[in-house]
Amino acid sequence: MTWRYRFALGLFFLLFFFVVCRLFYWQVVRAQELVSLGKAQYGKEVSLTTERGEIKTADDFSIVANKLAYLVYVNPRLVKERDTYAERLSPLLEIEEATISAVLSENKEKYWVALKQTVDNKTKERIANLNLPGVGFEEKRLRFYPEGSLSAKLLGFVGKDDYGEDKGYFGLEGYYDKQLRGKAGTATIIHDASGQPILAKMNESVHKIDGRNLVLHIDRTLQYMLDRELKKGIETYGAVGGMAAIMNPKTGGILAMSSFPSYDPRSYHEYSDKLYRNPFITDTYEPGSTLKPLVMGSAINLDLLTPDTQCDICAGPVSVSGYEVKTWNDKYTANSTMTEVIQHSDNTGMVFVGRLLGLDRLLGYFNKFGIGEMTGIDLQGEIAPDLRPRDDWYAIDLATATFGQGITVTPIELLTAFSAIANGGNRMEPHVVASVETSEGDIINIPPKVLNKPVSAQTARIITEMMVNAVDKGESKWAKPKGYRIAGKTGTAQIPVAGHYDPNKTITSFVGFGPADDPQFLMLVVIDRPSSSIYGSETAAPLFFNVAKHVLAYYGIPPTKSESEEEE
Amino acid sequence: MKRPVLIIGGLCLMIFTLALARVAIVNSISTTGEELVTIQTELEEYKRKNEILKEKYLQESSLIHLEEKAEKFGFVEAKSQINLSAPLPLARN
Repeated sequence: MTWRYRFALGLFFLLFFFVVCRLFYWQVVRAQELVSLGKAQYGKEVSLTTERGEIKTADDFSIVANKLAYLVYVNPRLVKERDTYAERLSPLLEIEEATISAVLSENKEKYWVALKQTVDNKTKERIANLNLPGVGFEEKRLRFYPEGSLSAKLLGFVGKDDYGEDKGYFGLEGYYDKQLRGKAGTATIIHDASGQPILAKMNESVHKIDGRNLVLHIDRTLQYMLDRELKKGIETYGAVGGMAAIMNPKTGGILAMSSFPSYDPRSYHEYSDKLYRNPFITDTYEPGSTLKPLVMGSAINLDLLTPDTQCDICAGPVSVSGYEVKTWNDKYTANSTMTEVIQHSDNTGMVFVGRLLGLDRLLGYFNKFGIGEMTGIDLQGEIAPDLRPRDDWYAIDLATATFGQGITVTPIELLTAFSAIANGGNRMEPHVVASVETSEGDIINIPPKVLNKPVSAQTARIITEMMVNAVDKGESKWAKPKGYRIAGKTGTAQIPVAGHYDPNKTITSFVGFGPADDPQFLMLVVIDRPSSSIYGSETAAPLFFNVAKHVLAYYGIPPTKSESEEEE
Repeated sequence: MKRPVLIIGGLCLMIFTLALARVAIVNSISTTGEELVTIQTELEEYKRKNEILKEKYLQESSLIHLEEKAEKFGFVEAKSQINLSAPLPLARN
């Protein structure tokens, strides 16, 4: 009995051991594989892609939206008659029959081959209606620009990153990429034996956050008009390029910004990457006479002079460290007042102001006006050229800096500096985005930000009057909108080439705001190397006033004087 | 002896009732997966249609398109403006 009992016990132990081994094999050795297999049988994990946020202008119009598009593919193994197939698809895909035929025959052993990367919904429907065997579509979203290439450099574009994911580059798309992109999530869909989803197990999606929408300060009408007028201006003056921006000086909100030559964001890859940059924030230039009101404002703010102070060195060219500083037209007015210095854009008068100011105070005010510093505008790619170190400044540098030569700025720096003059002394941070809309519908407003107060409100008023006088009596008075008080200043800066200034190539500009008593807009126009005239008063100024007329009409601002009063 | 029998009987009855209830509920929701798929497909279709309509609406209301239409209908840009700064004379009689 004993051996039988022991045999039976041993047998049971052996069987039990086999069971344990088997369980170990399934639950430990092949555990991972079986878990995956099980998951695949009853459910699947899907990646939830987010929809990229839209970019809207101030009137809530989506200037950048998303649109449906399809990739067209085919399973060549299901294609019987290649020629007939190609013949029917060719006109819809706009690909030659021979090309389609070649793709099908070269890949006849494959199960999937792409025929066209992007077709719109209408084309997709027409192809689907052909009922061709093996044709399929993959849905995708593309950036859609209802206004075409309008403000392309401001908006930037969407390309791919190293992982093939959408990524914003340049402008707003680059700066706000994370906000626009949102956060992709995953979802596990559990289904029954017949493949139908099980209701109780549906809500397992995690962490998907759609991209946020940006609402801009940009006024679509002003942007459209500025684009059109700038393009026309560049053609009229035979310039290499040009740029302009309009700001609300009270908030720092950018109402319009444009530059040419430009590119089409829908087909950005067809253009040189040099065109992707927005020169208004990335290009530096010597501002020339447009800097004079700021230097004059610095001296007035320090009570070193008044608008009626007379220049006692303005009777002829001024000698500085062996160099001779002349006026732009070689005409001189002895004892001209500071108001006349701005009106005539008198370089010798500015040397006079520079001598009163001295280097340290001049550099201090440049600093206060934000020259040499980033403005903080919410666009990707802003740069700010540094002012040279204090010890590298010589007497001639101080003299030329007072009339905007030998010193470089970006256009956005200059525009921001002038917001202090147009806004009672308060310099505003420039901003393109006014608010951000979350996918839950919350609105996050971006409040206006005062950067600093470089000059007092009284100084700002005095400089404004000097600039109004410069417009009313200056070289470009013929172009000014009649009846309005516009404050402005022309600029004509020579371009440094290989250690000297090219006498025939200039960058012309005009900065101004209006109406002078209650500024609604502040604008800077810069024209690169115009060929019809090298002067700002004959190129940038008329373009500025042409745009200003449209802005005044658009805002419904009436003139303060009739034409007959104006002529008096 | 009677009490445990009653308790066991009650528990069995409860198990049986709950089992029946479960069968009934499972039976009633067994087809919702299919309905859900239909609803989801419909939802996707509506979303797609909305996107297409939005695209069309944005295209039609773009300034580029409006300018083209305006030109086609013979509208021209106003070159001058009239500002009424004083009251207009009125005909008294």
